[in-house]
Amino acid sequence: MAKPTGNPINDELLEIAAKNNISTIWDRFMEQEPHCGFGTLGVCCKICNLGPCRIDPFGEGAQKGVCGADADTISARNLTRNAAAGAACHSDHGRTMAKTLLELGKGIAKDYSIKDPVKLKKLAVEFGIKIEGKDDLKIAEELGEAILKEYGQQEGELTLAKRAPRKQQEIWKKANVSPRGIDIEVVQAMSRTHIGCDSEYKHVLEAAIRASLVDGWGGSMIATELSDILFGSPQPLRAEINLGVLKEDEVNILLHGHEPVLSDIIVTASQDKEIQELVRKNGAKGINLSGICCTAAEVLMRHGVPMAGNFLQQELAIITGAVEAMIVDVQCIMPSLSEVAKSFHTKLISTSPKAKFVGMEHIEFHEKEAMETAKKILRIAVENYKNRNRSKVNIPKEKMTFVAGFTMENVFYNLGGSFRPSYRPLNDAIISGRIRGVAGVVGCDNPKNESGMCHADMVRELIKNDVLVVQTGCSGGACAKAGLLTPEAAFKFAGEGLKEICETVGIPPVLHTGSCVDNTRILTACCEMVKEGGIGNSIDELPVAGAAPEWMSEKAIAIGWYFVTSGLLVVIGTPLRVLGSKNVTNYICNDIEQIYGGKWAFEGDPIKAAHIMIEHIDKKREALKLKPLMYATK
Amino acid sequence: MKKIYCNIKKCLGCGSCEIACAVEHSKAKELNSTISENPLPIKRRRAEFVEENVAISTGCQHCDNAACVTACMSGAMYKEAKTGLTQHDRDKCVGCWMCIMTCPFGAITREKQEKQVVKCDLCPDRDKPACVEACPTKALYLGTLKEFKEILK
Amino acid sequence: MQYVIIGSSAAGISAVEAIRTKDKDSKIIVISDEKNPLYSRCLISYLLAGTIDEKKIWYRKDSFFKNNKVEPLLGVKAIGIDIKKKEVAVSNFAGEGLKPSPANKENVKFDRLLIATGASPKLENIPGVDKKGVFPLRTIEHMTEIQAMLDKVKSVAVLGGGLIGLRAAYALKNRGKDVSVFVKSGSILSQIVDKDAAILMQKRIEEKGIKIFTGVAAKEITGDKSVKGVALDNGSKHACELVIIGKGVSPNIEIARDSGIKTNRGILTSDFLKTNIEDIFSAGDVAETNDIALGESSINAIWPAACEQGRIAGLNMAGEKETYEGSLAMNSIEFFGLPVISVGITRPKSAVYEEIVKKDAARNIYKKVVLKDGIIAGAIFVNSIENIGVIGALIKNKVDITGVKDIILEDYFDYGKIIPLIKKSKKGFREQEFKETILTL
Repeated sequence: MAKPTGNPINDELLEIAAKNNISTIWDRFMEQEPHCGFGTLGVCCKICNLGPCRIDPFGEGAQKGVCGADADTISARNLTRNAAAGAACHSDHGRTMAKTLLELGKGIAKDYSIKDPVKLKKLAVEFGIKIEGKDDLKIAEELGEAILKEYGQQEGELTLAKRAPRKQQEIWKKANVSPRGIDIEVVQAMSRTHIGCDSEYKHVLEAAIRASLVDGWGGSMIATELSDILFGSPQPLRAEINLGVLKEDEVNILLHGHEPVLSDIIVTASQDKEIQELVRKNGAKGINLSGICCTAAEVLMRHGVPMAGNFLQQELAIITGAVEAMIVDVQCIMPSLSEVAKSFHTKLISTSPKAKFVGMEHIEFHEKEAMETAKKILRIAVENYKNRNRSKVNIPKEKMTFVAGFTMENVFYNLGGSFRPSYRPLNDAIISGRIRGVAGVVGCDNPKNESGMCHADMVRELIKNDVLVVQTGCSGGACAKAGLLTPEAAFKFAGEGLKEICETVGIPPVLHTGSCVDNTRILTACCEMVKEGGIGNSIDELPVAGAAPEWMSEKAIAIGWYFVTSGLLVVIGTPLRVLGSKNVTNYICNDIEQIYGGKWAFEGDPIKAAHIMIEHIDKKREALKLKPLMYATK
Repeated sequence: MKKIYCNIKKCLGCGSCEIACAVEHSKAKELNSTISENPLPIKRRRAEFVEENVAISTGCQHCDNAACVTACMSGAMYKEAKTGLTQHDRDKCVGCWMCIMTCPFGAITREKQEKQVVKCDLCPDRDKPACVEACPTKALYLGTLKEFKEILK
Repeated sequence: MQYVIIGSSAAGISAVEAIRTKDKDSKIIVISDEKNPLYSRCLISYLLAGTIDEKKIWYRKDSFFKNNKVEPLLGVKAIGIDIKKKEVAVSNFAGEGLKPSPANKENVKFDRLLIATGASPKLENIPGVDKKGVFPLRTIEHMTEIQAMLDKVKSVAVLGGGLIGLRAAYALKNRGKDVSVFVKSGSILSQIVDKDAAILMQKRIEEKGIKIFTGVAAKEITGDKSVKGVALDNGSKHACELVIIGKGVSPNIEIARDSGIKTNRGILTSDFLKTNIEDIFSAGDVAETNDIALGESSINAIWPAACEQGRIAGLNMAGEKETYEGSLAMNSIEFFGLPVISVGITRPKSAVYEEIVKKDAARNIYKKVVLKDGIIAGAIFVNSIENIGVIGALIKNKVDITGVKDIILEDYFDYGKIIPLIKKSKKGFREQEFKETILTL
């Protein structure tokens, strides 16, 4: 068990939790140790009621389930269902955005507007919509319809998957995994893994791959694109992170979850006169919005709303005693929050029709009455300010400044300066050996690792070796807290070549590109790099690698899969739950590279994992016959 | 004498004890690494089905008058005077399987390649045996019979 | 109190240890005709095979006698017992090299006596058994002598397909010799396993290059002073330089002859392992005890029985009232990675017995239990032996297994499956450890 040391905020608040018998994620983690070995190795099957069955991983006991499924079939099926669930989450997220766009176009969700009309038109054209002579709302309506149609599409291809380099598309065709429609692949992943269905493990995993590809090149990418259109494409901005962003004299409201449809409106509503008046009446100096998890990333990227913390800090935020309300929607919201909140005045408000929690007040949010609902929630929060018990307030001092708001449209163009907006400078920097390559370090945080330290250790090692790092989600938060997301970090931690680039352009060596659906920004960037030329004709040829050192959610599995099958090496900190099957492990960690160009690797030590990525990048550089690195590693 | 007792009422037969035992008796002592060892470690505890909805986790009972010790023709199996535990000396074992032949609990397992046997050693490197710690329902208990009876009350 | 124990192998040593748990101080005298008796007889063939090193056969430390305050009389032979005087006549412990004879004897007094004289290998009654190069394999001396001539041996004839014969064959094959086994009866190990198990084992043994000839016996061992071959009763001849005789053992009861101690095939004992004479006990390969499976008096000349009998006799010599529940034939054999364990009656000769058999040719598994009135009388497990001890417990406790008959030979038939039977059993399973496992049921 990794104690959450290394982050003094956690220690202090954990002590308070312990003193007050408040159970936190770390306590419950301890209670679960050791985790069920059958589950860990992926050899527990509870798909049908012949079982539950489990395979003896040490070979003495049963090697087959009641139906005859062996460790290969069972672990492949389990992994496929995980990937399907992860893909379902992101795709539902995208679906919400598409519905919002459609309702905006129809004039129903009138509290929203088109914030990035250029991107709207660009995307509409990609979807084959004639835009001439149509106003933005009409285009929005047609685009919303076209996108939702792809959810229900039964055959054909996904529009956005055509963004992938031709070779990737050919690989998918040849491997029989070209995604047809978004919902069908998730549904089929479920049907194929039913008792007595698909049981040849490689074939079972095709379903996982299809479901994951519709996530990356479908649901998630749609979510990213539409969020930019509806809430504005981010621009680099400075912001603050960590629980120190909470304020003593303001109404602290935490936005927690994933879909920005409500949180973005709340940002606007918080500036409403009536609400501000209520704030004054309740004796507070203002409203202090801050975020947790990916919702934080969404409103951070577009409004500079500070990040209170990442996934692991959600309970701790309440334990500060200074939070008037936590507003949640979907994904990564711990059911334990209600129990923690019992000891404090914090109001917990659930809002999504998709998720309710015992002990939370449910104010269901619908796009058509967005502003009204947002204000209702804000009123509850503001009026709760007077209930704050000052003696229970413990806002930690620690906070860190960082730069966020990078997108694939803005970041690398930034490299070229405003006069030369293209990916050329990035590709040139790689070709010349100033930058070794690019690594995406993403994913959750997990008490199986020290809080956030895995991310920071890995990223430091990467940038030291001239690898430019792009981040999303909780991983980005972890490194931001460690001070790695500032331009100054380049001087402290980056290798010579990377430092030169950062210095010239004025960017951090580690770029925060948003929430976990925004991992698709990395896919898009890969496509752009291929298009720009000189560092490979397909994604699998690029000197690029990915990692999720502390992954925990099923979404992470889907993300990993779409990166692997789009040609990337993906290193994860704790193994996928397949080690009980040597065949499946070997297939996804070795053989699969022959098909897709990418593969999985499992390495718990963040430094070693960084070097697996570096080696991979070097291998790709060698294959491309790129120049040696300009500077030797420090 | 302290040994492991199983409260059958709490035992779900999940096999967590088996896995914890095998991992503890592996080289790596960490599941994800252990699983790729060759040979795989051997568990010394078994979660056994008794009858519908009843299971038991069993292993060496460290019998007072241990049949395995009596049967052992190489002196490898012996009673440890200090603890009362039945212990196994690998240096003496010849792999004759006489102990397996006589153990009424089926608690001794062959280590085929090495021509040795293995059985519960109560995890000498740990405060509490791995199986006891791993048991998710706390069905396994380390203590004296008296203590075990006490907690049953 | 002076204890005298004749014999210093399994039963004798166990008796010493048992006595010392109850009586720390009284004098114990151990008489043995072997000079270094603290080795495990069963391991001799392992040592000959070279699968264990020599230090493994010393199953008790050198200091055993000293630590247990035993006065050992080693390398001497007990030749008679005077039950009235309570004396054992011992030949020549005074002088080296003297032949045991009534003329060279001294008397050792006893208050309590244990006769644990063991058994001796039966020798073939054919011409030529006295030639150089003919051995049984029972003692460490046999083994040393065989070892000494191995360099000159290419070919070995083993007479007898029993446990000892085959162990010797296995050992010598392991040492690179050309080994042929001549078995008088139709199958090997006929005293221990049934025909099916024997065929499986014979196949494995033959695969590994040992030749087995069944239905053939030697009628003469040929050669001048040294062995040159064996002449067989089918008219053929077999050239070899070494002959091992593995024809079983017969109990060493001569010492009891004319002493007033009752004998049959062995020395007769009571439930307390006492002979018909007060203060005189017997244990081990020489003692006849109640056979649990047969339900009659018999000798089970096996290591575990000798140890258990020695232990109980020792306790009773020290004044306890420990009952011996009887012996059960059981053997564990493994040749070339194929383990076989048999318990109790494995070749029933009467129709009152019922057999349940499971064969799994693909995995080389063969299992059989022999039932009488729903109670197990014996079992053979080939290549899947881990739970045979559970079957043994059912035999010893005479449990009616009718309810579990259908699953008793499955690999998953383990201790858990007999828990309901233990719970139901009124008389059996008296040991604390069984009770502990059903405490919470």
